[in-house]
Amino acid sequence: MHIPDGFLDLKICSITYIIAIIFWFFAFKRAKETLTDKQIPLMAVLTAMFFAAQMMNYPIIGGTTAHLLGSPILAITLGPYGGLISMTIILLIQAFFFGDGGLTTLGANVLNMGIIGVFIPYLIWVAFPKNKKGILIGAFLGAFTGDVLAAISAGFELGFSTKFLYGVSISVPAMGLHHSIIGVGEGIVTSIMILILIKYRPDLLNLPKISPKWLTKFELVKEV
Amino acid sequence: MLLIGVIISIIFVIIGCVWLSVSMETLDKIAEELGVSEISIWNPPLPEYEVPGFEGNLAINIVIGILFTLFTLSVTFSVGKILKKKVDMRKVDNF
Repeated sequence: MHIPDGFLDLKICSITYIIAIIFWFFAFKRAKETLTDKQIPLMAVLTAMFFAAQMMNYPIIGGTTAHLLGSPILAITLGPYGGLISMTIILLIQAFFFGDGGLTTLGANVLNMGIIGVFIPYLIWVAFPKNKKGILIGAFLGAFTGDVLAAISAGFELGFSTKFLYGVSISVPAMGLHHSIIGVGEGIVTSIMILILIKYRPDLLNLPKISPKWLTKFELVKEV
Repeated sequence: MLLIGVIISIIFVIIGCVWLSVSMETLDKIAEELGVSEISIWNPPLPEYEVPGFEGNLAINIVIGILFTLFTLSVTFSVGKILKKKVDMRKVDNF
């Protein structure tokens, strides 16, 4: 759902950039307060991994393709602010070097994939009990819901834009429906990755998260 | 962890370039149907993840994918180190 330049009018671009800037401010501020040596390699490797994962386009329906976002896993392992920073780096590199997503629309892409796509999965995940079943169900539901809501957000941006003639009644269902299929895939992959981490590196699930202070008390994953 | 992550990333790049390179996202399809086209304000050096003049060259696409994956790794590492450094400096100032 990388929105290119020219798809959104100036008003939508400006509003989404303002939202992104606010979140960036809090994300970098919190990162400066909490980032540790242990988190940096994890952040770097996950960011690189999902940059690469986004190069795999698998066919879904109607002749369209989709790719994993990776934002749910980034959120669960790094915290939502950490996930936002990672997604911002990915989106900036994609836009600047490859034209995958625009520069005027970077705010919108960050809002959709770096904020909604990160915070929603995370909030759903922390709401579930921290036993094995709860962690996996929370991961799946969070990833699915995050993907769909991110797509719906993109649908609203496109629908409200004067560039698209048919409005939100067309753009929102179109984006939401296709991305519900992508969301299932994202949910499955996210759950599998969490399962692998639980089995082999549960310590990585318990690293301090770069997240709003009020969320930190919900984050600890007990022995599973 | 770092090495395993890099190896997995390289596998993703190869799979993406060899078998899953065709991209037609929902958004692209909708735009095509509605007659909306992109307005470029910036000419990226490697449009669509390919080197101009070498479009469709699998080996070059894989090399580009791997190089930029490692670039992403380095950028994130650097951002992390810069942010962490600010944490350390604050501790020194407070002392």
